[in-house]
Amino acid sequence: MWFVRFLSSSIGKKLIMATTGLLLLLFLCTHVAGNATIYMSSEVFQGYADELHSHPLIVIVFSTIFLLIFLAHIGMGLFLFYQNWQVSKSRYSVTTRVVKNTFSSETMPYTGLIILTFLIVHIFSFTFSSSEVPISVTVKEMLGGFFYGLFYIVSFIALAFHLNHGFWSMLQTFGMNHPRYNDAISKLTLILPLFFLIMFAGIPLYFMTGLGASY
Amino acid sequence: MSSINLTLKIWRQHNSDALGNLETYDLDDVHTDMSFLEMLDILNEKLTKEGKEPVAFDHDCREGICGMCGAVIDGIAHGPEKEVTLCQLHMRNFSNGDTIVIEPFRSRAFPVKKDLLVDRSALDRIIQSGGYVSINTGGTPDGNSLPIPSSNAELAMDAAACIGCGACVASCPNGAAMLFTSAKISQLALLPQGHAEKKQRALSMVAQMDEEGFGNCTNAKECEAVCPKGISIRNIARLNREYLFAALTEG
Repeated sequence: MWFVRFLSSSIGKKLIMATTGLLLLLFLCTHVAGNATIYMSSEVFQGYADELHSHPLIVIVFSTIFLLIFLAHIGMGLFLFYQNWQVSKSRYSVTTRVVKNTFSSETMPYTGLIILTFLIVHIFSFTFSSSEVPISVTVKEMLGGFFYGLFYIVSFIALAFHLNHGFWSMLQTFGMNHPRYNDAISKLTLILPLFFLIMFAGIPLYFMTGLGASY
Repeated sequence: MSSINLTLKIWRQHNSDALGNLETYDLDDVHTDMSFLEMLDILNEKLTKEGKEPVAFDHDCREGICGMCGAVIDGIAHGPEKEVTLCQLHMRNFSNGDTIVIEPFRSRAFPVKKDLLVDRSALDRIIQSGGYVSINTGGTPDGNSLPIPSSNAELAMDAAACIGCGACVASCPNGAAMLFTSAKISQLALLPQGHAEKKQRALSMVAQMDEEGFGNCTNAKECEAVCPKGISIRNIARLNREYLFAALTEG
């Protein structure tokens, strides 16, 4: 089967990572748009949450698709990590990395695993939280807590590093590398992670610092 | 001309099956105008006089164009200087009293034959699987019968600068041969002569690359940084495009 042959090749596996990565990035965009309502007021946020959950089918279909994409991204990522680890273990007694700023690229599997841990914690605290307490109250209670808030901030920093290499790497895998666009792409690899970092990590900071006292 | 004293730690391995280890040698009065390989020649002369086995290493033209030489010097393929092969690396890049660790190019697909000598025939097999154009000989075509935009000719020439030394594989954290394969694919895909077979070429060369046991590219850019010919990872992006298109239409 040509399709299986294609997807099991080294480049095919990279394309699975890139495509699922792009879809997850689009998911982040929808999520951050919803979260932005928190900065307005608890009423706006509660209204958004109620509206979303008044169409349960949308939530179920969307979550299932997202789960499949996420499983493909994690599964393939771990498989590639294992394959590359097998090739690269104990090669040289001295290893010098020539390229500077490789922190993001070297830590991709680890930042990915931090994000996975975060995701599990996040889903159990919010998606499966008690339906008796309104979500707008839960958000303030949970994220206002020091350790819980700190965990969120650390996770979003990991997400920023993951996106910093991931966004550029995705475009390179899709074959987009052209002098005309490379400047813009290198700026976006900083702007995009920073945008998500400020928007997402801003929420626990908003509650922890007391800025959101009148929320 | 000044000279320096060095401590060399060199990977010694009797044959492919033997266990290797790093041996330490002291070498005094190394002229700084010598090339790295000339320095190894002096060491080998000294070892031979002492009745010891000289260090085996690959080399041929010694002017940086054949792609035979190469070793990992202090963790960097072809050593600390940019865009040179090991034979064009000069001892003036080192200082008196330095300890230099010299290891062979390593990859699962590059078995060590002896000391610093590795078997890079995996790269040859990638070329054999499609890195050519099939042309039936006939009358010489007119020079201007095939118009080629000069930007394409330049890019193809840049890719064709690859000498197949294997430094990209040796320096890749994952032991991937993507830069090599992409350079070979690009030099032909960019020119009209290579167009007819470009899909089949991309499919078979990538299949052969995977079969040889090279790793997967994670876009770490190390290959580009150590390449003695400055091959850009833009070629890898082109390979990804070529392969995607070929796999979707002819795979």
